Amino acid sequence: MYDRDVVISGTGVVSPLGDDPARLMRALAMGSRAFAPVDGFDFEAAGLDGRDAAAIRDFQPQTYLGDGNLRPLDRTARLTVSAAALALASSGWDDEGVRSDHELGLVLGTMFGSVHTIAAFDLRAQTAGPKYAKPLDFANSVINAAAGQAAIWHQLRGINSTVAGGPTAGLKAIGTAADTIGRGRAEVVLAGGAEELAFEAWVGFAACGWIAGSGAGSNTGVRSNNGTRDAGDGPQHGAPHPVPFAADRNGFLLGEGAALLVLESDETAAARDTMPLGRIRGHGSAFDPSRGHDPEASADALARAIRAALDGAEMNPAAIDLVSSSASGSVAGDRAEAEAIARVLGPEVPVIAIKAALGECLGAGGALQTLAFLAVAADGEAPGIAGLERVAEDIPLTNVSRSRRRLEVRHGLITSLGLDGNAEALVVSGGIS
Amino acid sequence: MPSSAHSTSGSASQRIGITGIGLVTSVGTGREIAWHRLLDGTSGISPVRSFDTSAYSVNLGGEIHGFDPAPFFEHLEPATVGRASQMAVGAARLALRDAGDLQTAAERCGVVMGTTSGEPREVELYNDEVMGGRLAQLGGGFMRRYPCHAIAGTVAAELGLAGPNSMIPAACAAGNYAIAHAVDQLRAGRADIMLAGGADAFSRITYTGFARLGAIAPERCQPFDRGRKGMVPGEGAAVLVLERLDHAQRRGARVWAEVAGYGLSCDAHHMTAAHPEGDGAARAMADALVDAGLSADDVDYVSAHGTGTPTNDRLESRAMARVFGNRTCFVPTSSVKSMLGHTMGAASAIEGAVCALAVAEDRVPPTIHFESADPECALDCVPNVGRDMAVRVAMSNAYAFGGNNASVIFRKVA
Amino acid sequence: MDRGQIQDKVKEIIASVANIEPANIANEASFMDDLGLDSLSLLEIGVDVDYAFKLGVEEERLQQLRTVAETVDLVEACLADRPEAQAAAVA
Repeated sequence: MYDRDVVISGTGVVSPLGDDPARLMRALAMGSRAFAPVDGFDFEAAGLDGRDAAAIRDFQPQTYLGDGNLRPLDRTARLTVSAAALALASSGWDDEGVRSDHELGLVLGTMFGSVHTIAAFDLRAQTAGPKYAKPLDFANSVINAAAGQAAIWHQLRGINSTVAGGPTAGLKAIGTAADTIGRGRAEVVLAGGAEELAFEAWVGFAACGWIAGSGAGSNTGVRSNNGTRDAGDGPQHGAPHPVPFAADRNGFLLGEGAALLVLESDETAAARDTMPLGRIRGHGSAFDPSRGHDPEASADALARAIRAALDGAEMNPAAIDLVSSSASGSVAGDRAEAEAIARVLGPEVPVIAIKAALGECLGAGGALQTLAFLAVAADGEAPGIAGLERVAEDIPLTNVSRSRRRLEVRHGLITSLGLDGNAEALVVSGGIS
Repeated sequence: MPSSAHSTSGSASQRIGITGIGLVTSVGTGREIAWHRLLDGTSGISPVRSFDTSAYSVNLGGEIHGFDPAPFFEHLEPATVGRASQMAVGAARLALRDAGDLQTAAERCGVVMGTTSGEPREVELYNDEVMGGRLAQLGGGFMRRYPCHAIAGTVAAELGLAGPNSMIPAACAAGNYAIAHAVDQLRAGRADIMLAGGADAFSRITYTGFARLGAIAPERCQPFDRGRKGMVPGEGAAVLVLERLDHAQRRGARVWAEVAGYGLSCDAHHMTAAHPEGDGAARAMADALVDAGLSADDVDYVSAHGTGTPTNDRLESRAMARVFGNRTCFVPTSSVKSMLGHTMGAASAIEGAVCALAVAEDRVPPTIHFESADPECALDCVPNVGRDMAVRVAMSNAYAFGGNNASVIFRKVA
Repeated sequence: MDRGQIQDKVKEIIASVANIEPANIANEASFMDDLGLDSLSLLEIGVDVDYAFKLGVEEERLQQLRTVAETVDLVEACLADRPEAQAAAVA
């Protein structure tokens, strides 16, 4: 489908389990999980009992960004700009001389931008008066603020776009960027996603019953619009932390982070004599008009996205060695994702699910899943799903990794099923194959 | 610069046409009424009603008073979605009616929408609960309505469209970004029909922000006028139905105009201020022309970003001069924001519809409230009165917070 | 509130917007030339100063501020005119 090859020449990541891909993968391989109680949020006011999330503790953006003025950047932007700094360094595009001939682009996936910045801006104006609204916060109230800040910080003057879509946003961004390069519109584009852990989002997800332990019957404040309780997303006495594909999964816990890939045409990569980490082969996107209400339609949407990605890559399902899934512990979501994977690739394809360790990191998820696949392809070792003892009977997959294992993989499928209808799939090849 | 490899002047399978237009604006809902009121120079700006502006020094807005979403919803309950989503569904429904029978499977029909703020009113409701000490009673509706991708999702869910679905929150250039994304999806064969547009709802958040920046005009919006004093926040939605020309021909669809090309760039200069020399804006225009296989001399009409702020209009004029050179002041260049205010993420979708209709009907809308020329805006802004003139090629420019610039070129279908 | 206290508070506000230590801000420092701030950050400083001292001055006067010293002068003058604002600021 692409007129020319799209290679991955670098990666940058800021995550709760480490700020470089190797460290993150070691932590995943060791079965580490990032969930811990979070400080600083007013859980009582929101009536929330559960306080665990996969937060980045002691995030120090100045480590990557030096002494520049960080005040204009909110947390989402700081995560993004830091990941971009790491990605540029990793790919060699931080070199001024190398940069001089090209305008670099950025396509960022995010669910919210920063819903916290937006809410804080409005709250200050409402409580102190509109005259005292904060101008710097207003500049960041637009959902593309992080992409704009990254462009300013790193002088990315090419295509600059932000793509939303809940947890599928990151794969949408990578797919969009790959199209841009593959069809000759750009040479070098950073692509991936970012999401900050925002209290407003947490309260909102909990009110829908989507956070682990927040379903009906728990004490965590689950109410629908008219004040009655939502049905929630499954049994209430599950594992303390969500385990994708597990029988007792009952929702997700939130995470945060940023991950960016440097994508470029094979021509520019070859001209720089760079060793690609992998290639984007194809992507597919589909929508379930029932928005998750009909489980069959959800699975169908993801199956269509997977087939479109394989068609774009001109590959057979049998060529896929590993699936890096978006399974997060969601009862309906994990089942529909597994169903779609099994339907197109067969039940025996090996599947990993890094949200077991990193939580539902929304816009950052797709790029993190892609990084995890690239690491498996490079190292020949796949992480297990932390905490998984028994795969649920409603999950039609027979080769889900429970613990780390040797796995020789070349071609991977990255899947993402959103909370409300979006389905996305990406075919990636590892190494220089 | 894009390489010439993807230039559009190729086969009908790579050429993209607009076959449906749906508009929800403060001067009317529906293509015909909105278009004629814009040609007539009708203003949709009035004192704000949706919230109390007594604590502000300004009070004008481009609100759509009395918008009733009910006629456009057949499956979903309008009250379960946010206002921007309601307007987006209205525009999408109208665009589909305009496009006629699609004769296309739902899986081959996608949606891409742009927005600046998504559904900011939902955050306001969240904060109302915070301030009222009722956060623990927050319902599930907040998270179902608020995320901006709910706009594109609601359109697809209501209309039963199962193809690729994307939300591009590229702020005030988002409509053009959405059109560009749709063009790419169609050219790549990922869909046969793409609904592309933008939607933004009037909100106290947006109003407060622009008021705080001192950007809101106290009395009227006067783009390119020497005495211009600012922009006026507005709201609205527009959706275009896009498809490959061969697909449109096969089903016998009327094609309003061809989307001939687009250009995207980033200033990488400042979050809220444009590049002082109009660098990114000029690059977006130049790239769009290359993409369309056209030169600046081919452009008959420009739909300006034209917000009416002293700085935007000056820098936009400067950017235009970099692309159009000596011809700059002879290319009719108007801003419908003089009538609608700045409808944020909907703006360039609405202006895309304006360009498509200008190309189809050889008429262009005016810039109203024009009184005196500004030497720093040496443009023919089609002052006060719309014009009948040949429009073979129209360019629509949009610029945004974050330094995002997007130009789209529309061409008459031969 | 004496001039020294006003100056300390003003520097604290500027420091948070400019992301530098208050001790590194000279009394005569220019926002744009010395501290590298842009117009948006200047607006932020104006809002924060107005809010902190409850000045209630006209927007134009805040927008004219270009240096630390000018800001301290304005606050001092406003507080001298309005004892109740001084009380609020001290509180």
